[in-house]
Amino acid sequence: MEQIFFYILAAVVLVATLLAITEGHAVHAIVYLATSFFALAGIFYLLGAPLIAVFEVIIYAGAIMVLFLFVIMMLDMGQPEKARGPSLKQWWPALLLGAIILGAMFTLFATTIPETLAGWSYTDAREFSRVLFRRYGVAVEVISLQLLFALVGALYLGRRKLP
Amino acid sequence: MIVPLTHVLILAGIIFVMGLACAIAWRSNLIMILIGIEIMLNAAMLAFVGGGAHWRLVDGQVFSLVIMALTSSEVSLALSMVVYLHRRKKTVSADEFSDMKG
Amino acid sequence: MKLYLSLILLLPLMGGIINALVGRFLPRKGSELLACGVIWGAFAASLLASLEYQGAARIDLMGWLSAFDFQAPVSLYIDPLSLVMIVMITFVCALIHTYSVAYMAHEEDYVRYFALLNLFVFAMLALVLAENLPLLYLGWEGVGFCSYGLIGFWYSDEANATAGRKAFIVTRIGDTAFGIAIVWMFMLMGTVSITELNGMGSTLPMATVTGIGLLLLIGAMGKSAQMPLMVWLPDAMAGPTPVSALIHAATMVTAGVYLLARMFPLISPSTTAMAAIAVTGGVTAFYAATCAMAQRDLKRALAYSTISQIGYMMLGVGAGAITAATFHLLVHAFFKALLFLGAGCVIAAMHHEQDIFKMGGLRKRLPLTFWPFLAGGACLAGLPLTGGFFSKDSILAAVWLKGGALYGGLYLLGLVTALLTSIYTFRMIYMVFGGDDSAGKHSDSAHACKVPGLMEGALIPLALLGLFGGVLNLPSYLGGGWLGGFFSALPGGKEAEASHSLELSLQAIAGVLALAGLAIAHMRYGNARRQERIAAAEGDAPGFVTFFQKGWRFDDLYRFLFIRPFETLSGFLWRQVDEGLIDGSLDRLASFLGRSGEGLGAWTSGKVSVYIISFAAGAALVMAYTAWFLL
Repeated sequence: MEQIFFYILAAVVLVATLLAITEGHAVHAIVYLATSFFALAGIFYLLGAPLIAVFEVIIYAGAIMVLFLFVIMMLDMGQPEKARGPSLKQWWPALLLGAIILGAMFTLFATTIPETLAGWSYTDAREFSRVLFRRYGVAVEVISLQLLFALVGALYLGRRKLP
Repeated sequence: MIVPLTHVLILAGIIFVMGLACAIAWRSNLIMILIGIEIMLNAAMLAFVGGGAHWRLVDGQVFSLVIMALTSSEVSLALSMVVYLHRRKKTVSADEFSDMKG
Repeated sequence: MKLYLSLILLLPLMGGIINALVGRFLPRKGSELLACGVIWGAFAASLLASLEYQGAARIDLMGWLSAFDFQAPVSLYIDPLSLVMIVMITFVCALIHTYSVAYMAHEEDYVRYFALLNLFVFAMLALVLAENLPLLYLGWEGVGFCSYGLIGFWYSDEANATAGRKAFIVTRIGDTAFGIAIVWMFMLMGTVSITELNGMGSTLPMATVTGIGLLLLIGAMGKSAQMPLMVWLPDAMAGPTPVSALIHAATMVTAGVYLLARMFPLISPSTTAMAAIAVTGGVTAFYAATCAMAQRDLKRALAYSTISQIGYMMLGVGAGAITAATFHLLVHAFFKALLFLGAGCVIAAMHHEQDIFKMGGLRKRLPLTFWPFLAGGACLAGLPLTGGFFSKDSILAAVWLKGGALYGGLYLLGLVTALLTSIYTFRMIYMVFGGDDSAGKHSDSAHACKVPGLMEGALIPLALLGLFGGVLNLPSYLGGGWLGGFFSALPGGKEAEASHSLELSLQAIAGVLALAGLAIAHMRYGNARRQERIAAAEGDAPGFVTFFQKGWRFDDLYRFLFIRPFETLSGFLWRQVDEGLIDGSLDRLASFLGRSGEGLGAWTSGKVSVYIISFAAGAALVMAYTAWFLL
């Protein structure tokens, strides 16, 4: 039964992403994208990563998308109703290159990967954090430093008075 | 795992290509480029999680968390740069900023 | 003998070289004296050589070309044919050099003139005395070059330069055929020595001999202005008159006949080649006679007359009568040079007016020119008992005696041509010298110029030689010919035997025709009708007269057949191929490289959008490559 859920959620992700990328209005695109992230979180849960699913919703759909909305609305980019989507002349390189890459990927995925174990199990928070802070402890420290850099950089770039 | 890894990977691939298409088709709009990047990173996260689930390892999930953290820092910096550029030329069209020509 | 022959060659050569190099620094008299002196010296040497002559001999002077089995030393061959030729050539050339001193007295560039003239004499003597074909070809080319230089002597007028070029190019066609023949003969027989070649002729198949004979005929056609390569000679009259007299009457144009006479033992077995030579000669003689009848320019009429007479000589060679042909060659050299020099006197007197319809009454004003000119005209027309009569008739007799339908037809053609020759000769004389003094009406000054005595003086010896030249080879009923006896050792020199009565009757026919021509000319151009002719000539000539005047329009034919396609082709190759294709392709390649460079340079536009697509394309490329190789 979980398979049916997976495929439904996958469909939702695809449709929402498609709508997001073809939508001319930026705010609409963000909202569609949030929808797709919600569905993606569901997929993560089905794949046995509930913590990641939670983080997807909180950080991605919650913080990053909202940040996008802040910036879009702050910028006040003229009349959004008259936003023009890209014409067909703009779309064809995307379609062409996308098709090539997609074809290449499918060719590569065609090799069957042997199943290991049947059954569904999930990773709870305790096990996840155990691996994270023990094996990838240094990575955590580096990431935190990097977040600091981003904070400082954003502050500097965003200040009112230009140098 | 509930579905074969191949299906997960196919889904991740399609999402990735859609994100790439977004970045290419909207290549003159800075905001939409960033959105395309977000989609692509999401697809990568999906691939990692799927792989971790297939081989019963937690490391896949750990790395997808790392991606998420890095993405957020990248987005914040990128958006602050968009704000900065908008203050300079009152537009988010990427083609306006071609001083690196040549 | 060796000394005399070396002197004969060296004296004109030294004269030419010294004049060319330092002539400018010598006083005028000195340069002219040098030029004339070397030729008179060569004449003296040739007289001494003829006194010492004892039979055909080959004299080696020095080595020249030598590569493996190809040997062409500077060796000379003296035999009856070359001996009479060098005596005639040096004598006529010496007279003409002396004449030129007076004719070119007002010319500033006399050094070039005399240098070229001397070099010409050297080349002609080398041609005549050569024992092997490369040396003959050296002389052949040398006379061609000097002819070109002298025809275009007044080159600042473009028409003269064009005439010189035309002469050079048309004779070149003949020279090419001659060159091919030389190489072919060397390939077949391994030698280029004339004496050896003449001896080996019997070993060759008939078709080869015919081929060689035809190639030599083409070479002779070019040099001797026979059909179809005769178009250059009338235009060559653009040169100074002494040049016309020397080169285009007496010496160079006879070189073709001389060549055929020299190679006679080799090519005579081929009846086809002989017939071709005879036909060429006969047809050319007739053609030129018809054209001479319609000419208005005095020198052009004489040029066509030369073509016609050389046609007679070729006819003689074709009929196998070397003696008759050489006899006519010698006498023709004398009277044709005389006619040209006389024409030079007339032209100088008329302030360089050359249209015979504008001249008149000169027999009273230029008596010293008139009588020799009349003598020369009589020889040309072949009036009985002049030198021209005996020589022309000996050719016609030889043709008649050869027998056969072809030679019979050529005999009749020769008779018709003799009639025409007489008519046009006396037409010329009546128009130029007859009538009253109308020069005063047409010339600018009150009376014509005084002609220098030196020029008129040179005419006298030539007139005497022409008139009494018949004694060189009297027909058998009058005691036999000296020339025939002298030539009897030569192959082809033996004259055909004919009964006395046959000879007399043939000569009577020819004599009657010559007198008939005189009568016709008198009727048409004589006293009263002369003025009518001048008046009639004022307007445009009717169509058929223009046809003859322009030499049966051969110039136009050649222009249509050869020159225009050549110019079209060269224009095409110039514009379309050279500029369009070669230059254009290089230009297009260069501009393509430039544009592609600019196009590639535009890739770094500084725009993010371009870079995004570049990334994606690169990624697509890598992924596709990976997938391809994993397949």
